[in-house]
Amino acid sequence: MTTEPATSVATARFESIGVHLPATRVPTSALMASTRHRTGIELERLTGIHEHRVAAEGEDSYTLAVSAARDCLSRSQYGATELDMVIVTSISKYHGGMRQRLEPPLSLFVKEAIGATNANSFDLSNACAGMLTGVFVLNDFIRRGAIRRGLVVSGESISQLGRNAAKQVRSVLSRQLASLTLGDAGAAVIVDRAEPGDGGIDVAAFTTLAEHSRLCLAYPSRVGPGATMYTQARAIHRVAIDDSPGLVQEALGPSGLHLDDIDWFIPHQTSARAIRSGLKMLEERIGVVPRHTVVNVEEYGNTSSTTHFLALHRYLQEGKFAPGDRVLLLALASGLEIGVVVLTMDRLVNLSWAS
Amino acid sequence: MGVVIETTAVAVPTSPASHGARRLADTAARHCLHEAGRDPATVDMLVNAGVYRERGLGEPALAALIQEDLEANPTPREDGHGTFSFDIDNGACGFLTGVDVLRGFLLSGAIEVGMLVASDSPPGPLQTRGFPFAESGAAAVLLRDPHEDGFTALRFQTFPEYAALLEGVWEWRAHRRVRPGDPGGSNRLAVLERPGFRGRALDCAHDTTARFLADNGVSAGEVDLLIATPEAGFADPLGERLGIDENVVVHVGERLIRAHTAAPIAAMDVARRTGKWAEAHTILFVSAGSGITVAQALYRR
Repeated sequence: MTTEPATSVATARFESIGVHLPATRVPTSALMASTRHRTGIELERLTGIHEHRVAAEGEDSYTLAVSAARDCLSRSQYGATELDMVIVTSISKYHGGMRQRLEPPLSLFVKEAIGATNANSFDLSNACAGMLTGVFVLNDFIRRGAIRRGLVVSGESISQLGRNAAKQVRSVLSRQLASLTLGDAGAAVIVDRAEPGDGGIDVAAFTTLAEHSRLCLAYPSRVGPGATMYTQARAIHRVAIDDSPGLVQEALGPSGLHLDDIDWFIPHQTSARAIRSGLKMLEERIGVVPRHTVVNVEEYGNTSSTTHFLALHRYLQEGKFAPGDRVLLLALASGLEIGVVVLTMDRLVNLSWAS
Repeated sequence: MGVVIETTAVAVPTSPASHGARRLADTAARHCLHEAGRDPATVDMLVNAGVYRERGLGEPALAALIQEDLEANPTPREDGHGTFSFDIDNGACGFLTGVDVLRGFLLSGAIEVGMLVASDSPPGPLQTRGFPFAESGAAAVLLRDPHEDGFTALRFQTFPEYAALLEGVWEWRAHRRVRPGDPGGSNRLAVLERPGFRGRALDCAHDTTARFLADNGVSAGEVDLLIATPEAGFADPLGERLGIDENVVVHVGERLIRAHTAAPIAAMDVARRTGKWAEAHTILFVSAGSGITVAQALYRR
């Protein structure tokens, strides 16, 4: 895997996290009742997803990202003008309604909206691994001392993929089935340089298993506004089950950490069942499972690049983490991208997480 | 110790039919690797900076598909060595953003070899309302070099007040007449360069580049090569305004004059093949694109 060398240079850390969830909740039962064909699919039982959030009129990828960035800045010690870099990692780039903006990049508008006037900005696309890839990039810039701090932010307005899929899905074998699991959300993280003795990012390692690059493909839709996604979900799950345990061990290797050093495991949130079977395989292959596994897909669905940060935010809000806890974030995304970020909790647990 | 360009290559369609951004990037990347005598498996990180692609693919990163096409560690080797791929989107400044990112990973020792690809094509015949760019692709390999400075400084500035002057947007457009079975509309890509874009881009680039050169202690007379993109209506006037000798401005020729994200690599490729690159000690890159975003880089040897 591609990883930062374990040298004595500075450590980066998560300085603040913010999220924004649209107020509108759509139960899975309501989405399935809207399918054009009688599918007989028990999606809630298959995935564990009870409901997901849907962007309201006037909300889009841009507004979700901006709201999450503002929430993040509200508990940061930094003002927007102190950010050196802003990376927007949304897959969906809807700005001004259902207008998927390729140019100028969404980051230009997000940067302007939050007042990050001194920041370099660009968009980065890496499917559901986008935010963690952004963290990987910032980690490198900060450890080298090239910048002091940066923001990674994503606004995913993707529930329309479910509405498009509802017009076409006929059975559980449909390649658009995974689109019915998607929910809207925004998330943001500020990464800065850790003070000596503080926690921070212990591991950041990524690789692309490109022989599986065509297992999940999304395009502008031909049946309605927004996009359509075609996913070979079972094949992706099989690759994840087969390859993730070894890659996680490899990622941890240079740091001297082992899986039993991990207190909290936050996998990409696709379905509760997939996470459970992944854990079972981890135990069979490595003989160890993390002490706690975070699952929040029941309430939000798969929110794409934002899932890890929704989970982190929720557990910080609930006071679940203690200083010194080690958290492993596992990215699993179309590409097929596998990424591992391990952080040791520090100042985050002492921030105000009242919503 | 610096980060240098090892090789470059360019690809353009060989027939009137669209080739697609992925195939153009594949072709350029293969030529690039072939010229360097490099096994694709040595590429540690593959960054795609192209914006427009066939069918408007939004997921996965196009870089992952290109990695598979190149057979650059489609599965990690037994020693764990793999390739990590992702896309960067920063319009016409994407190449220099990609350089900034790859340079960092090279300097930190996270990677040994980085590849940057950039290509653009219209998504499809019925999916486009205006596409002003030349279909083209390009690739470059970046390495650490103990003897050369390579890219020494990069700077990016944005001018959001001019954001509407160049836009590329996918949007659902309702059909005027809806027949049975018709979804009622279709998603179309519209790329619009509005009047005044190049003039504004030139103004933004002139002021910021003059400051960039001054801050780096480089006079206009010291610039041996100016790689300024877009070329049409921008490169020559920028050189003139900055007081840079007109003979050091790189021109790519008619076929690539409207290249988009591939333009800086295409210009570098011309300079390399004409020998100008090898003779130059101070090379100035300036890119201006939607935003308006302006990026500068100095390459020294």
